[in-house]
Parts: sequence; C-alpha cells; structure tokens
Amino acid sequence: MHAHDHDHPPELNRRDFLRLAGASVALAGLDGCSRMPAEHILPYVDSRPELTPGIGSYYATAMSVDGYATGLIVESHEGRPTKIEGNPAHPASLGAAGPIELASVLQLYDPDRGKSARVGSEQVQWERVAANLAPAALRSRVGGRGSGLHLLIEPTSSLLDEELLASVLTAHPDARIYMYSPMLGDGATDAAVQQYDIANADVIVAIDSDFLSTAPFHLRYARQFADNRRLARPTDAMNRLYVVESTFSSTGSAADHRFAVRPREVTTVLRWLLTSVINGDAKTEAPAWIAAIARDLRAHQGRSLVIVGDAQPASIRALGDAINDAIGASGKTTWYTTSPLVGHHVPVHKLADLVGAMDAREVDTLIVIGGNPSYATPRALGFSSLMRAVPNSGYLGLYENETARDARWFVPMSHYLERWGDARAYDGTVSIVQPLVNPLYRSIAPPELYATLAGTSNGGARSYDLLRASWTRRTSGDAETAWSDALQRGVTADAPMSRVAAPTTFPSDTNPFEGTAFEVIYLADPKIHDGSFANNGWLQELPAPLTQLTWGNAGLISPATAHRLNVSDGDIIKLSSGQRALELPALVVPGHADDTVSVHFGYGRTGSESAARDVGADAYALWPAVGARSEAITVTRTGAAQALALAQTQSTGAGRDPVHRATLDAYRASPSSVGQRSGRVLSLYPEAKPPDSNTALQWAMTIDLTTCIGCGACVVGCQSENNIPVIGASEVRNGRSMQWMHVERYFADNGADAAMQPMLCQHCENAPCEYVCPVGATVHSSDGLNEMVYNRCVGTRFCSNNCPYKVRHFNWFDYNKHLSETELMVKNPNVTVRERGVMEKCTFCVQRIREAEIAAGRDGRAPRGTDVQTACQQACPTNAIVFGSLTEPSSEMMRRRNQPRSFAALAELGTEPRVRYLARIRNANPEIHDSR
Amino acid sequence: MTTVPLRRARGDNPVPTAFPAPPDASVLRFDGSDRALTDQLLAPLRGTGVVWWVLFAVSAAGTAVFAFSCWWTVAKGIGAWGNNIPVAWAFAITNFVWWIGIGHAGTFISAFLLLLNQHWRASINRVAEAMTIFALMNAGLFPILHLGRPWFFYWLIPYPATMGVWPNFKSALPWDIAAVTTYLTVSLLFWYAGLVPDLATARDWLDSRLARRIYGIFALGWRGTSTAWRQHRVAMVLLAALATPLVVSVHSVVSLDFAIAQLPGWHSTIFPPYFVVGAIYSGFAMVLLLILPLRHAYRLEQVITERHLDAMAKLTLTMALMLTYAYVVESFVAWYTHDIPERFTYLFERPFGTYAVLFWIMITCNVVVPQVFWWKRNRTSVGVLLAASGAILVGMWLERFIIIVTSLHRDFLPASWHIYRPTWVDFGLLFGSVGFFGFLFLLFVRFVPFIAISEVKRLRHDLGENGGREIGLPHA
Repeated sequence: MHAHDHDHPPELNRRDFLRLAGASVALAGLDGCSRMPAEHILPYVDSRPELTPGIGSYYATAMSVDGYATGLIVESHEGRPTKIEGNPAHPASLGAAGPIELASVLQLYDPDRGKSARVGSEQVQWERVAANLAPAALRSRVGGRGSGLHLLIEPTSSLLDEELLASVLTAHPDARIYMYSPMLGDGATDAAVQQYDIANADVIVAIDSDFLSTAPFHLRYARQFADNRRLARPTDAMNRLYVVESTFSSTGSAADHRFAVRPREVTTVLRWLLTSVINGDAKTEAPAWIAAIARDLRAHQGRSLVIVGDAQPASIRALGDAINDAIGASGKTTWYTTSPLVGHHVPVHKLADLVGAMDAREVDTLIVIGGNPSYATPRALGFSSLMRAVPNSGYLGLYENETARDARWFVPMSHYLERWGDARAYDGTVSIVQPLVNPLYRSIAPPELYATLAGTSNGGARSYDLLRASWTRRTSGDAETAWSDALQRGVTADAPMSRVAAPTTFPSDTNPFEGTAFEVIYLADPKIHDGSFANNGWLQELPAPLTQLTWGNAGLISPATAHRLNVSDGDIIKLSSGQRALELPALVVPGHADDTVSVHFGYGRTGSESAARDVGADAYALWPAVGARSEAITVTRTGAAQALALAQTQSTGAGRDPVHRATLDAYRASPSSVGQRSGRVLSLYPEAKPPDSNTALQWAMTIDLTTCIGCGACVVGCQSENNIPVIGASEVRNGRSMQWMHVERYFADNGADAAMQPMLCQHCENAPCEYVCPVGATVHSSDGLNEMVYNRCVGTRFCSNNCPYKVRHFNWFDYNKHLSETELMVKNPNVTVRERGVMEKCTFCVQRIREAEIAAGRDGRAPRGTDVQTACQQACPTNAIVFGSLTEPSSEMMRRRNQPRSFAALAELGTEPRVRYLARIRNANPEIHDSR
Repeated sequence: MTTVPLRRARGDNPVPTAFPAPPDASVLRFDGSDRALTDQLLAPLRGTGVVWWVLFAVSAAGTAVFAFSCWWTVAKGIGAWGNNIPVAWAFAITNFVWWIGIGHAGTFISAFLLLLNQHWRASINRVAEAMTIFALMNAGLFPILHLGRPWFFYWLIPYPATMGVWPNFKSALPWDIAAVTTYLTVSLLFWYAGLVPDLATARDWLDSRLARRIYGIFALGWRGTSTAWRQHRVAMVLLAALATPLVVSVHSVVSLDFAIAQLPGWHSTIFPPYFVVGAIYSGFAMVLLLILPLRHAYRLEQVITERHLDAMAKLTLTMALMLTYAYVVESFVAWYTHDIPERFTYLFERPFGTYAVLFWIMITCNVVVPQVFWWKRNRTSVGVLLAASGAILVGMWLERFIIIVTSLHRDFLPASWHIYRPTWVDFGLLFGSVGFFGFLFLLFVRFVPFIAISEVKRLRHDLGENGGREIGLPHA
C-alpha cells in the first residue's frame, strides 16, 4: 500500500487515515500490495473470506461496449483483478464472455494509459481542472444558459449518467449533449432497438449481420443459436441458418447455407426475398435459392426470423421488418424495444449537429467524454481540426490518444474495473458496475465530471456516493438489501426495456449505387471493435476469425478479384474515391464476395498507445460518412508489398480434411460414417484398459465443431488464465505464436464453407511428445493429463517436432522480461510464468483441477468431473467445449463423446487423444445446391 | 591383422586375412632416404608460407563470427534463429548431422581400413583422423547450443543426481549424446595414440629447446624401443577395433533422432544405413577437399599418390550409388504406403514444394555429379576431385536440411504449416563453424605431423622388403 500512496490525492482526512491504517494492518502479511477499493464491494454469491492469500475472490461487474453492458465475474487475487469471466445470471453473457471483455483486464494494466490530468502541456491535479468547470466559472465562458457548452459522450446506458446529464442541463439549460460511436453511427440516438429471440427461431436468415460475433447481445444470440443445434442424437431437430453477406464473418462460418453477395446486392436480395415470401411460389425473377429460403421461412411461420445487420441503413432494415411481418416473426422472434441508451430523459443529438455547431463557431467549450472522435470519425468530416479550433476543449479518456492531442486539457478516465457505475444490457437489464481495484492512476469517472459540471460537487464527488444516492432514489423498498443483492448477483431486478412499435421507415426502393467496378464494405473489427481496444496485445494477437490475421487489417478480397487485380496476400492495394484514399495490404479470403473489398475499422492509430501505433491502415480515412456501410470505390495495385502477420498460412485442408463434415441428412442416414473413420490402430502393445469409476478422475474434453463459430473467446480466455505472453507481429510472422488454444480454420475448396477446429493439447494417451523428451520433462499424470514440467525442460523441442497437432509452444525469447510493473499484475498467481528456453502448452487448466480437488477434499467429498471448468470452456459463447471425466458416463462431456459423430483428430496415428471432436453437421436445405 | 605377424614370428603358417590386400607400390613413390622423408613431412613444423597465413586469417575471422553467433544465441535465445513451430529444428541440427557425418570418414579410413588391411590409407589417415576430431568438436557444439537452456545440457547425461532423476532412455537424444561423446573419446585416443611416435620424431628433429620440450611432453617419453612399437601396434589395432563399430553406430543413433519420430519424412526404417552411407560419403568428400591442397602445398605427390585419389574417388562413387538407392527406396515406400502425408512429403513437397530448388541441387550434387567417377581420368584429376567434393559437401548439407525442414514445415495438419527462413545468426553459425574447422585444421597442419611418418616409413620398408607382396610389423 505504501508504495502506491503517491497515487492518491494528497489530502488525508481522518477517515482516509483510519482506512489506510486499518488496511495497512490488515494487509501487513500481504507484501503491502493490495489495491482493493476503499468502499465496501461485495463478492459474487459464491462467497469466500476476502483476501485469502493464494485464493482468488470473485466479484460481479459489467463492461459496456457502445453502451451495452455484458455482465461479468472478475477473479481477483490479493486485490488485483486477473481474469474476466461471464456472469451466468446476466442476459447478455449467460456465463460466456467475448474476446473484448476477456481482454479488458489487460487494458486496466496498460502502461500507456493516461496517468495524470493536464492543461495544455502542464500536469495538474483534476481539482484544478474541476475548478474551471464549476457552473459559476463556466458560465462566464459559455453564457448564462450555457449555449456555448457542448458535451460529446460515447454511448452509455447508465441510469446514473442520464440523471447527472439531466442535472448538467439544469445548470446549463442551453448546453447540448451529443452521443456518438462509429459503430452505432446515428443509431446511437435512435429511440428504439430491435430485439431477437434466437431460441425460438428454427429458420434464421442473417443478411449482412454478424449477429453471432460482433452485434450487441451476440453472446446471448450465439448461445441460443447453438442450443438449437446440439444434436445429442442424429434424429434431434436442428435449426437452420442462412447467411447472406459480402465478407466472410463468424456467423457466415456457422451457416448452413451461405451466399456471398456484393454490398449493393443486399437490397436486391431483400426485395426478392420479400416478394417471394409474399407471393409464395409464384414466378419471380429471384434465383432458386431465394425462393427456397422463402419457402423455408414460410413453412416455419412464427418460428423463423430475418435479421438485417444494424449497419444497414434504416430504409433497408425496413425491408427486413416487412419480411418479418410477412412470416409472422414480428412480435414473436423479433420485436422493438425502447433503446437502453440514454436519451429518454435528456435530449441527445447526433455528431453531425456538433460538427455543424463547430463549423458555425458556436462552440466555446467542448468536452469529450470517452470515445475517440478525432480518430474514429470520417476523416472528411475534419473533426480533428474543428476541435482544435474550439477555444476551450477537454477530453476525459483512458488514453492520451488522437482526441486528447486535439484537446486543451485532458483528464484520465478510470477503467471500468476501477470505477462505480451502472449500465444496461441490450435488453435493458441493469447491472451495477463494481470496481475491483482502486484507480491505478489519478483518474476520474464520468459521473464525477458530470457532477462537477452540474455544480453538485466541486470535483470531489465520488461515483460511489453519486451512485448510492441515485440507487436510493430509484429503489422502492429496502434499498440496502437490493444494493447488496445487485452487487452479489451482478444484475438488478429492474424490468427490461418495454416493447414499442417498429419505427416507420419506408423501405428503400433504390440501390445506393449502380454499375461500379468495385465496392468497399466497412466493418467493425471483431477484435478491437472501432479502435478503442487497439492497444490491447491479447486482442491484436488474436487471429481474426476466418482470416487468421493478427496485428493489423487488410483489404479482404475474393480469389477471383485477386486474380483480376493480379495481387496476392500482402500486396498493397490502393482504394480511392475522389480525394479520399487508403493503401493497405490485400488478403485473399475464399468465399468473399467478388469485386468487393472488406476493410475493418480500428487500425492505423497515431495516439500515444504504443502497441496500437502504426498497426494496420486507418479505414476512417476512407469512410465517406457516418453510417456508411459501403460505397463504390476504385481499386489499384501499387506494386508494394507487406508481410502479413497470419497465424495460419494455409487456407484449406490440402485434401486431408482434418475436420469431419456431413450434412444432417447424411448423418441421419449413416451416423457411424461421420465420426471415427479408422478403426483401432494396430499396436504391438496391449490395449489400454478403459478407466473405470474406481480409478482417479480421468480428464477429457469434447469440442462440438457444429456449434463452434470461431469467435476466439477461448483463445483470449486461455491467454488470460494461463499467463500467455504477447509476442508481437514480427514473431507471429515468424510462426512463433504462443497461444495454447488456436482456432484452426479450413475453407472448403470452393470457399462456400469454412470449418473451425479449436486446437489445443490433445492430452494423448500415447503421447508422441513424451517418449522423445530426453529429460522426461513432459510426462503423463495418473489422471490422464499430459504434463509439462517447466523446470525440467531443457528445450530440445523434439516434443514439438513429434507432436502431430503442433500444440506445443516454445519460449524463443524471454517474453516476460520487459513487462512493466502494472502488466505484471495481470498474471495469474496460480500459473507459472515460463522462462526463456522452455516448452509450454495447454495443461487442461491443471491449476483449476487441483484447486477443485483441494476444495473437494476440504469439503470431505470426492472431486467430480463437473467441478472443473477450463478457461476455454468457460469463455465459449456456444458451449461448444465441455470438460469432465471419462469415469462419469452420464456427464455432458461423456454423452457428447459417445455420439456417433465423435472423432479424434488424426486418429490413424494411434495417439488416443483425450480431446474428441464432434463432426461438423450442416442442416442443408435439400432444395439448395448452389451455395456461393 | 592383429595376430598375423605374431604367429608368423613364431614360425606358424600365415593366417590369411579376411580381405588379403597385397600392398601396391603405387601407394608410395618416394625415392629419397628415410631422413629425407622425415625432413619433408616435418617441414611445416618449422614454419609456413604466406598462403597459410592468409587462410589462417580468413579462418580466424570465421571463428570470430562463429563465437559471436554463439554468444548472440545464448544471450538472446533461440529466437535469434529462424526456427519456429512447426520447424523447431533447422540449421543447427542440419549442421550437427553434417559435421558428424563428415567426421565418419576419418574413422572409416583410419580404423575400418586398417582392419581391412588397406595399406594405401597410411598417408592420409592422420589428416582424416584430425578431420574427424575437428568435425566432432563442431558437431558437438550444435546440439548444446540448440537447447533452449544450454546451461542444463548435462541433464541429458545419466549421472547420479541427488534428486534421483535420470534421462529418458526411450528418447534418442541421451543415446545421441552417449554416441557422440564415445565417438569423440575413441577418436581422440586413436588419433593421439597414433601420433605419439611422430611427436617423438618431431621432438628429436626440431632445434628449438622450447619446441623440443613441448613435443617431448606430448610424446610421452617415446623412445622407439621394439617393445614400445609392438605394444603401440597392438594398442592401435585394439583402438581400431573399438572405433570401427562406432562408424556404424554413431550415425545410426543420430538417424534415430529422426526415425523414432512419427513425422512423415522422418519415420523410416531405412534411416540408420542411409545415414551411415551419407556420413561416409560426405566425409570422403571432406578428406579429398583437405588433402588435395595439402598435397599440392607440401609437394606430397609421392606420398599421396594418384592411387590414393583413384581409391577415394571409387569409394565416393560407391557411396553415391548407395545413397541414390536410399533416395529411391524412400520415395517408393512413401508411394507404396498410400498414406497421404507420406506421399505428400516425398512425392510432392520435396521435389515440387517450397524448397524444391534445394532438393534438385541436392540431387545434382549427390547423385549426378559423382557419376563422373566412372571415368578414370576424372578419378585422378585434382580439379574434378575438388569440384566434386565441394559439390558433395553442399549436397549432403542440403540433404539433411531437406530431411529436417521439408518434413517439419508440412506436417500432418495444414493449419500448422509454416515456412522456415534462416536469419543471419543461422548463417553465422554455419559458415562460422566452417571457419572454426579451418582454423583448427590449419593449426593442426602447422604444429602436428599431419602425415603419419612412422606408418609411411613402415609402408615403405614393407614395400622394399617384401617385394610388394606381403606386409608385417616392424621387426622386433
């Protein structure tokens, strides 16, 4: 504690003194390093004595992306959060977490975060800044009614924020509030949002919608989607997903039928589909597959659903609404509710209004809260230079990024793991954002700024007090009990948002552009979203679904387009439209729409975030306008080239077909032909006896390739749990990825399908790595784990050469040598940090296994296979991964393993892996033969 | 051979050796006196010319590169190399196998041919033995340097550790260490034992007091008594008998580093003989590459005659044919298995894949080039021999590279596949080790009698006394 006293404001009142003194005594045995928040935070319901050294505690909180919260449970060791997990009680998580949520704990410890407030270039205390923001001081600048005051906030669903913003408007009635994020675009200020019930949809058509992996609420959708296609028996029912899209998304890889169309064809497809749905089998000009989809939709009246991506303009989404009306989906599998974002009690405006006001020199004081508008706006808008022309501009943000550079003053914002607040999920469920740790730097939370602007505080208000006051005001009955309950469960009893009628937008009847050679489609990045998470090494190094690209973006094109442009992977292409241009490397993706270039946002950063700087190309430079999904573009080959950091360099299975695949009909016709292909491998040795229930638990894993959507959550979950280092783009290019879990991807030869295979140590019974290790550093445990003894390993790497799955990773350098003090804090204390020169690999989360065994022993019972969840299993949104013991035949893991479609990877080698895969089954529509 | 002369001395009937090989006057054409022979063969000990100094400077620079690359590797980690996953082994193991292979010719010539009564070996065996030792010194460095934590290399050695942990004897690597260290020990003993009489000659022949003292120490008090000669002879034959099986065993064990793995391209029962043949093949090439310049520089045409060159070239051709057979069998078996990864590695990836250019260079060097030795003119042409030897050494290095890297970089699961590209450190270690080898060899040429004077003299006397029909020990 003492070491960090300088991080606290200098004043030390009696309460603080007692707090510190008490904490010092309490933590005397803890190496003086706890950062528990001062206020009383309550652990997750599975309560343990707090701060037991070596034992993690778990707290519920929530993280918002674009204002929509996902409930989380955070593991904390001696007061430092180390691992994010999903909150099973939260509707947006259902126990899962996505890569962004999982990696957010690394962002907390990011050494590049803004560390102190400044005015101009002078470092100051926040109180100095606050003094100038008090209503009295500010009115002299912005006028008595505050007409010169403009607040640009990132989307938020916080009830507290809305309350405080209202009080800011009370103090400055003419002040204006704008809400913007590049991914929501103008949708941030929409009054209504569309909800889906995937659980009750048997036939789903997703049109330009990555609803399983990047849309708000995607974790819930993915779970519901997967639950309807688990196929415990070949005869089970299975939902059917059609995907119509330009780029190849995770959702596309999960589809039963996927159709690649150019962006401008989306409208046509929707219109054909609408006509076909309404007219039935009457003759239409639509291709056969659209008619087949329409028949399928109508055959499942009320249990089918059409999802049109949020990024499509309202006029096109209205076509989707019309189809949903026609197939009886509206009101059943989809409906509209009021938006969970703020704006119902305070007026919020669009970014364009702010730009207009800045252009007209009406803005005296602009305060940007979160987001990064100087970067994440269409460069053509000139936001950056407009902001620099504003006489008094300020920025509250995590980093001294592009926006901070344009602002006169900057105040560091607390990370969500350091601050109190509340947030709504996409369906409106309210969670309390509970901090796990005191702010690492002198940062403040947005409510504290709002309270200062409203004049209810002189800068000293604490979010906790503001939140408690707000909570008490809006809670009927016993506020204290409700508060404890909300903290412990991670969700409150508040009702979700109420249903409203669909917005009345007339469906579009024109194509946005016609007859162009090339089109570009702008996409949210599945890893770093809009660029907010660009400085996160776990996310940058996560291979992007489908492309396997790390550390950067690329212009994704189809093989035919690559041929036409005469480019291959890494050749720099130039996209241009008028004055706007963007150069970036091409990357060929089978199954991509022809004559279309996909570009992801979030790269080409120039702020002070060192890991993000100069990684990839900045798509905002080309983006024509907020909300633009696609546009006509000129594509030229520059002749330059750049090596891409691809985690996997082969696109297909090279005729080996490592992933077993079949259609549902084929599976039903001959279940046994889908799973294990080769019989028992001949051996000179006696056959191992199957474990019986009297032996120790025998750990094993089953992974369902039918429900794997390749999102990469397992990879980040594993990285976080197992202290896996980040190695950087050049090392990925060198083929030295350290991730223990890798989602391998195999395109079908025609590009119509992509199969995902999460690959991790298979824990073979006859492990090829074990007999070649000269020093016995990798050995078998009695409970079936292939164990890696780091301190015995001398690093011959023979084990890796002999591993047919190549799941062993070598510490080529001392990857942990240059970590900053804060980055070291994210390490899981239960997992060894590996030194240079040793091999490492998946351990089946052995630390969790042993912890569970010890806990069971303490409770005086035998451990059970279900006591343990591995980190990958826990993160998986679709529950594709299950873990357990071979000795428990009734467990979910064993029931899946005993399915006829179960197979071992490379079974013919006789390694007898403990990991089994379930073949990828597609519920193909027999009427459709031409997926494209 | 061992017992033949002893029995004859007692008046028994001569026992025919397994391969009777009457000495042929063409293996020695020296016309001067014994003293003149000594003078000529020891001349380098008195000083060398400009060429030696130039070569020495170059090889010393190579040694410096080698030392720096080693230091860089240990200081930074194996990441300084181009290795990755899946290609966890590459240059260093290629170098290791290459150097070990080169070492084999020394023992083959010294021990194997001694036992087989091949008299022509007398004038080249010392060079070959020295080459073995220097090659092994290089080879031995690579597996250690190659470890992630080289400071723990001794964990591969079975020693009674207090923790009671032993190496894993199922792995080929502890056997590898045992084989290589045994080989180095026996080779060193064999070389040194053979050297003792010549060191004594040098001691007696040199003028400088200091030099006499130093050579005297290493000569171990050799006085050339008949008892000493007899015991020396017995010791040499015993050591030869010890060393000979090592010619076969060491590279067989090395080959198991690959053959026990189940990787397509490695998992093959032909590997032990295939590796032994390749080893001797590359070793012969290196011997030729070393003795031809020596022969020219020190005017040893009378000692190292065309007969030697012819014999070496014939053996080289034999090895080339055996190796070609191995190549053909490997590919045939891969085709015969109907196994997709096996077929892919042998029939597609090697001839047509990423490293296809290297494969075809290898085929040219190892299979095509040695065919020139069907013609006698080529077998005795210094230029052709030098060029072919160089090509074979390149080809044999490439062979190991192709075995290791092409197999690894395209293994079972296509998702794991990744190209391998060497870094400057990899090249620094390869060329640096060549420099280090040259450095040691030049020092050897300068300070050690590089032709076995006593053996040449004996050969000369045998030729003279027995009229070119029979050979025996120097008379007691």
